[in-house]
Order: sequence, then C-alpha cells, then structure tokens
Amino acid sequence: MRRLIILLALLATPFMAPQAFAADPPVMQGLFLLTDYPAQTVRAGEISTIRIKMQNSGLAPEAMALSLSGVPSGWKIDILGGGQPVASAMPGQNESVSLQLRVEVPKDAKPGSHQVVLGAKGSRLQSAELPLTLTVGTETPAKLSVKSRLPSLRGTPRSAFEYSVTVGNDSGRDLTVALSAQGPANFQTTFTEGFGSNEISSIPIEAGQTKDIKVKVTPPRDVKAGDYPVLVKVAAEGATADLRVTLQISGQGRLALSTKDGRLSGEAEIGKASTYTLVLNNDGTAAVDEIEMSGTVPTNWKVEFNPKTIASLAPNEKKEVQVMVTPADKAIAGDYVGSFRATARGESSVADFRITVTTSTLWGLAGLGIIAVALLVLLGAVARFGRR
Amino acid sequence: MPRKPTQREGSPFTGLGPVFMKEFADHLSSARMMVLMLFVIVFGAFPVASSLQQLRTVTEQDSYLFLRIFTSAPESLPISFVFALNFIIPIMAIGLGFDAVNSEFNRRTLSRVLSQPIYRDALLLGKFLGGLATLAVALAALWLIVFGAGLLLLGLPPRGVEVARGACFLLAAIAYGGVWLAASLLFSVIFRSTATSALCALGLWLFFFLLWPMIASAITIGFAPSQIHSAEEYLAVEQLGLVLARFSPGTLFSEAVVGLLNPETRTFASMLPAQMRGVIPGAPLPLDQSLILIWPQITGLIAGMIVVFAAAYVIFQREEVRA
Repeated sequence: MRRLIILLALLATPFMAPQAFAADPPVMQGLFLLTDYPAQTVRAGEISTIRIKMQNSGLAPEAMALSLSGVPSGWKIDILGGGQPVASAMPGQNESVSLQLRVEVPKDAKPGSHQVVLGAKGSRLQSAELPLTLTVGTETPAKLSVKSRLPSLRGTPRSAFEYSVTVGNDSGRDLTVALSAQGPANFQTTFTEGFGSNEISSIPIEAGQTKDIKVKVTPPRDVKAGDYPVLVKVAAEGATADLRVTLQISGQGRLALSTKDGRLSGEAEIGKASTYTLVLNNDGTAAVDEIEMSGTVPTNWKVEFNPKTIASLAPNEKKEVQVMVTPADKAIAGDYVGSFRATARGESSVADFRITVTTSTLWGLAGLGIIAVALLVLLGAVARFGRR
Repeated sequence: MPRKPTQREGSPFTGLGPVFMKEFADHLSSARMMVLMLFVIVFGAFPVASSLQQLRTVTEQDSYLFLRIFTSAPESLPISFVFALNFIIPIMAIGLGFDAVNSEFNRRTLSRVLSQPIYRDALLLGKFLGGLATLAVALAALWLIVFGAGLLLLGLPPRGVEVARGACFLLAAIAYGGVWLAASLLFSVIFRSTATSALCALGLWLFFFLLWPMIASAITIGFAPSQIHSAEEYLAVEQLGLVLARFSPGTLFSEAVVGLLNPETRTFASMLPAQMRGVIPGAPLPLDQSLILIWPQITGLIAGMIVVFAAAYVIFQREEVRA
C-alpha cells in the first residue's frame, strides 16, 4: 500500500521529478583540482604543459587563490588560464575552469622525481590541493599514429580516390607533422585538411590529439586495370608512421573516331554515294563492347556504315569503318558538316566531317548544247540567206 | 556547213580579216572611243577608289580580299564597281555598234565595199568582231587598272584563284557587252537613220534596265497565289520572278558576277530550311563549282549574243544595198 502511494506520488508529480532525481544520485560536493596524468615526465631544458581542471561541484562560486608549493629551485612553473598567467580562478556552480601549468625545466636538471603541489584556497575555507609528480626523465620519443577507415577504394582511371586519414600525436608534446605519400609513377597525391580545400604538406597536432586529413590520389588517365598501393607517411621529430592505402582501378575503354590520315573532310557529288574510311581506335584500358555507328547528316541525305556494329574492340585495337554518304538530290553545292558517331555503353566518340558537295558537270554540257543550237541557227541562216 | 554551190563560190569568210582590222583600227583611233573610255574610267574609277579606301581599313581575315574591290559598295557611294559596269557596258557597246552598218549606207560606201571580193557575211561579222575586240580591249584595260590599283593600295598580291575568278569575270563582262553590241548592230541594220538606231538601242537598254524589273515583279505578283502556305509555294513564286528577271541580260550578268566574285554564293534563290541543315555558312565554293553555278547565265549571254547576231545577219542579207 505504501509502495502504491509512492508510485502514485511519483506519477502525479512529473515536474518535480528532475529535482527529485537530481538529488537522488550521491553527488560529491566540493571543489576539486583535476588532471589526467598526475605523474608526468618532463624533459630537461624543455617546456611542458600540464592541463588542469578546477571543478566546482555543488558549491557557491567563490574566488579561489592559486598557489604552488614545492617547486624545485631553478624551475619555473606558471599557472596559466586562457593563455595568461592567473592568480585565482572562480568556477561557477557545477562548472569547471581549465588551467595550464607551464613547466620550464632548467637544462641542468638532474633526473629524479619532484613533487609539486598546486593549491587553491577560497575565502570561505574552501580549499583543494593537487599533488603532481614531475619526473625528469630521459627523452621520450615522439610517437605518431595514422589510421584510415576506408583504406581501399575502387574506381576507374578517371575517378578521384579520396581517403580519410586520422593522424594522432601520441606523445606528450605538440608536433608539426609532415605528410608525404609514395605511390606508383605518375600517381599524384595531395593532402587537404579534413573539410578544407587548401593543400597542405604538414599539419600541427597538439599533444595527445588527432586530426583528420584527406589524401587524394589521382591516377594517370592511361593507367592499366589493377591494384595500386600508395604509402601515406607522416613524420615529426624522428617519429614516423605509415599507412598503406590501395587503389583498385578497373579499366575503362575509350573510343576515338578519326580517319587514317586525320583528314576530316571529303567530297561528294549530288545524288551519288561517296565512301570514306573512318578508323575507330580504342585507346582506353579495357575492351569496349557492342559499338554502334551512327551519323548525323543534313536532311534527306543518306548515310550508311559498314560494319554498322562492332562486337568488341580490345584496347589499342584499330578498326576501319566504311561510311557511305549520299547527298540529297536537291542539295546545293557547297560545304556541309556531318558528324559520325561511335557509341558504346558509357563511351562515345564523335568525328565532325566536312563534306564538299559538288554538282554534276552534266548541266554544263547541256549549256554547251544550247550554244551549239544557237550556232546552228546562225549557220542555217548563213546557208539559207548567204548570197553572192 | 551545207552550202549550195549555186549560191556562192568560196568561203563566206573571205575578207573577214581586213574588215575586222579596219573596224578595230577605226574604233581605237576614233574620238568616240576616247569619250567612251573617259566615261568608263570615270564611272569605274570612282567606285573602285572608294571601295579601296574602305578595304584598307579592313582588319579581319578575308581570303578573297582582292575580289572585294569589285563587289564592295562603300557607304559614301552606294554603287559597287560591278554595278557601275552593269550599266556602263551596254552604253559602251551601243555607242560602238549603233551606226555600224547604216552610217556606211548613208555615206554610200557600203556598195563600194561590197563591190570588193567581200561577202556581206564577212562584212557584218567583221564589224561585230571589231566592235567586240574594241570592247574587250577597253574592259581588259579597265580590269588591269583595277588590279594594279589593288596591288598598289592594298599591298598584297592576289592569289591564283582570285586572278582566275577575275579573268572569268572579265570574260562574262565581254559576253555581256557582246549581247548589246549585237543588239545595236541589229538596229543599225534595221534603221537607215543612225539617230533612230541609237534611240532604239538605248530605249531597249532603258527598258531592260528600268522597266523590266518592275514588269517582272508585277507579273510575279499577278501569278502568285493570294495566300502562301508553305515554303515550297514561296519558292515557286520566287522562281517565277527569277525566271522573268533573267530575260534581261543585265540580270544574267549580275548573277554571273555575284557567283564569280562572291565565292560564298551557293544559289541565287532562297534555300529551303531542309537544304540549310548542316550548311557551313560562309564556306567558299571551289572555282569549278562556282562556274557550274553560273554556267546557265554565261550560256544565256553567249547564246543570246549569237541569236541576236543571227537575226541581224538575216535582215542584212535580205536588204537592198544598191540605193
């Protein structure tokens, strides 16, 4: 019965619920100084940065004076907030403030551990402490990682291969990472930022962070079908990492229509068929199947191809095609343009042909006949009327 | 040549040479020839000078630039050299031929000439050929002046094709002159008075030059259907108009000239839309195709010249000369 009442009360008061539930989990109240790695390695003669977070859990905001104790002699440690040296911090309720410790280790620091305590003290007895153990160690080498989600792409010689690559800086220092790629001859590689369009050759990565870059590989147009590996290399301060991406290139046929000597013009007499020889060439990397020949000529002209269709044309194979053009009976002498086309699935080639149409000289002979008739009339007159 | 031996002895062309040479020499040395030449040069030189002035400013590529001297009509003077020739040549031919026979008749020298061993055939043909040769010399001189002026002022040599087209144009001009020479010879045979003959020849020329285009278009409009429904009908009407206009030697000459000097000309009538498909605009025709295109016009001019001469011959043969 009591349970039922509690249940009803819970159902009846939905708007009170957030408060009730917020209070429900046991929340630690207080002020905390946090860092990911309380014990760190620093190197002599270098500057390291330690990220620190001041977390205020459920307390009224209060200015917290910051102090450092146990700084070894000769070391210089600055408390930075937002890039500036700060002396106090004030996180709001349930909020945090980011701080950085800039640790400048003298060159002659001896290996060994030092404990530095970062203290925060409020005016209302709130205080927190963060002991940090800084070990002067030997050089830790820079470490890089490079990963790709899709290391293998497929396409034709004309497609663009774009790989998304994640480069990680796994060392404790900010690094400027140089990018390079090794591919087969004449493969072009460019690097761009994740969503940018600028080409880059190196990229700065903060300690422990990763950056997404894009690697674009352009294969040469006449590349043969096959798998091509490209080695993407990243390097910084002696650390290297590489990643092998693969281009799976499928071949593509390409048609080229021309004539034997490249001359794309010819003559044709009105009403008579003229034959030209075209040469169809496949200068692609794969066979082209089911090629159909067609032509566009002026109205009422006839155009025929022999052969009309070609079953298959292997790469670098040439085939002669005869085209027969008959100008219309009413065509007028002059230059016309016709285009011949070879079409296969996804591939076509057009050759524009200039056809000079000539008239038969038969009518010229008819004109001569008329002059001959006129002369005959004259001669007849001479014969009839000629007199002494 | 079928000839009845009872009618004559020997060739009808006996004495043709002397008559021809005498006529030629008389024409070239006559004051009338000087006047005509002056007339021709003034009328020819003016359009040529204007079109050359304009052509010198042309910067675009033109493979037939030299031929444009003949055809381009400058803005300052809306007649081209060819158009000027179209009416100069008939006047020149009429001027050379209108008194060929009747002046001899009036001077009573005809019977004296015919008492020589010269047939009437040879006399008439000699007079005609003499006039034609004079005309040819004048036109060739004019043609050479134009080409020379072009060379000097344009500073570029004509291509072989241009020279060939120009030469064909000269031949067409001589044939055109021949038609009018034959016509004026015909009138000089018909009429005893030189004034009447000149008036008739000039009247015929004026008729063809001014009146005939109007008459032809009036007839065309009369024959045209009230409403034109298709391109074919329009073409038929246009064709009728062209056929009528071609009765005038001037039309034949100007069409021949357009075909020769504008190599882009494919046809004188309109082209059907179906015929226009695929045409490369502005592409010049080869010379032989242009010649085939204008061959009917050339044929018409030459045949007309022969027929008119034959008519003059028949009338002259039947005339009484011992008056």
